[in-house]
Amino acid sequence: MAASVAYVGGQLQYGMNFYWGQGYRQALWVPGVTINGCLQRELSWSRGVSKFLQIHRCNFSHYPVRENWKSFRTVTTSAYLKDGSTKYFDFAVIGSGVAGLRYALEVAKHGTVAVITKAEPHESNTNYAQGGVSAVLCPSDSVESHMQDTIVAGAYLCDEETVKVVCTEGPDRIRELIAMGASFDHGEDGNLHLAREGGHSHHRIVHAADMTGREIERALLEAVINDPNIVVFKHHFAIDLLTSQYGSDTVCHGVDALNTETQEVVRFVSKVTLLASGGAGHIYPSTTNPPVATGDGMAMAHRAQAVISNMEFVQFHPTALADEGLPIKPKKTRENAFLVTEAVRGDGGILFNLSMERFMPFYDERAELAPRDVVARSIDDQLKKRNEKYVLLDISHKPREKILSHFPNIAAECLQHGLDITQQPIPVVPAAHYMCGGVRAGLQGETNVHGLYVAGEVACTGLHGANRLASNSLLEALVFARRAVQPSIDHMKSSSLDLSASNLWTQPVVPKSLGSDVMHKILRTTKEVRKELQSVMWKYVGIVRSTTRLQEAEQKIGELEAKWETYLFEHGWQQTMVALDACEMRNLFCCAKLVVSSALARHESRGLHYMIDFPHLEESKRLPTVIFPSSHMMSTWSSRQLHQQPMY
Amino acid sequence: MVRATLSRLFSSISELSIPKPSLSSVRSEPMTRFGSNSASRFLCCSAQQPQLNHQEKANEEKREAVKEDPEIENKENEEDDFEDGDHVNKQTGEVGGPRGPEPTRYGDWERNGRCYDF
Repeated sequence: MAASVAYVGGQLQYGMNFYWGQGYRQALWVPGVTINGCLQRELSWSRGVSKFLQIHRCNFSHYPVRENWKSFRTVTTSAYLKDGSTKYFDFAVIGSGVAGLRYALEVAKHGTVAVITKAEPHESNTNYAQGGVSAVLCPSDSVESHMQDTIVAGAYLCDEETVKVVCTEGPDRIRELIAMGASFDHGEDGNLHLAREGGHSHHRIVHAADMTGREIERALLEAVINDPNIVVFKHHFAIDLLTSQYGSDTVCHGVDALNTETQEVVRFVSKVTLLASGGAGHIYPSTTNPPVATGDGMAMAHRAQAVISNMEFVQFHPTALADEGLPIKPKKTRENAFLVTEAVRGDGGILFNLSMERFMPFYDERAELAPRDVVARSIDDQLKKRNEKYVLLDISHKPREKILSHFPNIAAECLQHGLDITQQPIPVVPAAHYMCGGVRAGLQGETNVHGLYVAGEVACTGLHGANRLASNSLLEALVFARRAVQPSIDHMKSSSLDLSASNLWTQPVVPKSLGSDVMHKILRTTKEVRKELQSVMWKYVGIVRSTTRLQEAEQKIGELEAKWETYLFEHGWQQTMVALDACEMRNLFCCAKLVVSSALARHESRGLHYMIDFPHLEESKRLPTVIFPSSHMMSTWSSRQLHQQPMY
Repeated sequence: MVRATLSRLFSSISELSIPKPSLSSVRSEPMTRFGSNSASRFLCCSAQQPQLNHQEKANEEKREAVKEDPEIENKENEEDDFEDGDHVNKQTGEVGGPRGPEPTRYGDWERNGRCYDF
């Protein structure tokens, strides 16, 4: 892998030189950075990053520009120009979850907005975030307390300034949502009803019954659809960002997309781009994420020379229903995992391996009542040691009536598949849930690519550190989507659009010329390759890791990717061809490699990242993992932008 | 030997990096308690505990008069409904919210056994 990985701390100096291509294994000290093994307070990641990613007024006078062209300030319903398959907007938003929509609604007051989403607009991780959103909304609560809980949960890897900003601004963001029509539950006293979730020391989870994400999504989507300045392009799959080099700076000018309904390529040229494309759960075989979460944004950003951070911190839930263990298998693969609540263990459920051995007491005195992360590791360890696909969670020793009244949802779901949980144990396996890492963002959601902003799960803002606190993800999305607004507007106002810019990049093409037989073979192979990649990730890059296994993963993934790409190109695939499955596959490869590289670089165990050969926390390693862009020499199809030719 | 080693390994990580209040010296109340006491404990701590008004009290008396299953705190209670159809959860004081016990009583967000957030 050509990406270079480093621990970065202290102040990042603008304009510093990076070391390139020394290999992922080495932790590289970036020049100009002082590492003094100090406390969290001194490691001003966000300040350093902000300085480095400083948005200076882009002087495009050296860049092809039409001087007479006015920027899109005037907003009318037909404000965007169409030139063949190219569309021009002031702002392009990739993703229609809470981050994308929240941002779109604000910037639409200043210019035209395209919201580009790969499926139906409501298909996003946001929609599945059924719990709540955390914020300090109770007089007896405090920002300091929320900050403390976040930092403890994050195993002290969070950026303190980011945490402060998010916890401070959260309450206002909730109030705005309410003003926009989101309906949250109240108590009889008329105040917001606040729940208290694990890791929080106060009641601070705002929610809408048990479908908070859906309610927020509904309210935002309604506002977006009613906004004349926003055009939503659904079923448009983002392929690659359009970027150019201006000296040592990379500038983003928009994004290419594939209309998956009409099989037409659409080029969006925009002054500002917000990446809000969500997570990458589908690099693993079992995930709570909907099928759209294939890490598209992280991959596109990496290919566009954006810096990626903390990808090793993948959050798993220990006990998702394992379809493999159900007597009647679901007819089609479950789209997103059914998580079995802690309450089952809390009520006396016992975990067994497939030899009916109770294993938790070997890992922790608290057995099944150990913290969730300990349980997740223990289950993972058992599965890998025994080469099995799931473990068993048995509650059948409890009274039947109690089981059915406490867990009707689990009972019904299992019964549908031939399993009676009052008589038999429940098959469970860990499922990937959330990516704490992503595209490195400053405090304004800015990245090292000019004109490219990020918000939501795709971003690594420093809030989550090594482990996300419950209900902080919707909050992060809201806060950063809002914070990216003003810098975006400023950037937009200082930019001009060149209508001929569209021709600067080779157009992607749909593979009509290959014919349906070849396409069918390619799709079938791609599906198999995806399963294989997911299997490698789960087996070698799961919850309990080791250098040996990670190295094996790296090798296997490299071989698999080469085999797949060779297959494609042998069958006539061209460099600039695009199809949904193939593009998702290259993004999955890209994200998988980022996770492996990052995991290999962290020689300690912290939060979600556990290494057998480095089982303890190391204070000197309490720094983010950073992946710098790779060189294009000898890179794979998944590692470079579609319009970039490989350099051999 | 292996048991102790594994136990130490996993526990040492958990104590340092897992945010469970039960591990913090500040907390006096572990989150992961089981049994029927947990729901009432959370209600006592809640800053949102609503005061029972007259109507609520009347409803409560009515309910006490009716023979109830001893597992009441884990069952839905339809007498909570107001005239306008808004359900008030007797245990949590929440209007229009999820019925039954607090979804977060074991730390994660669960409804009828399915976990949605953690």
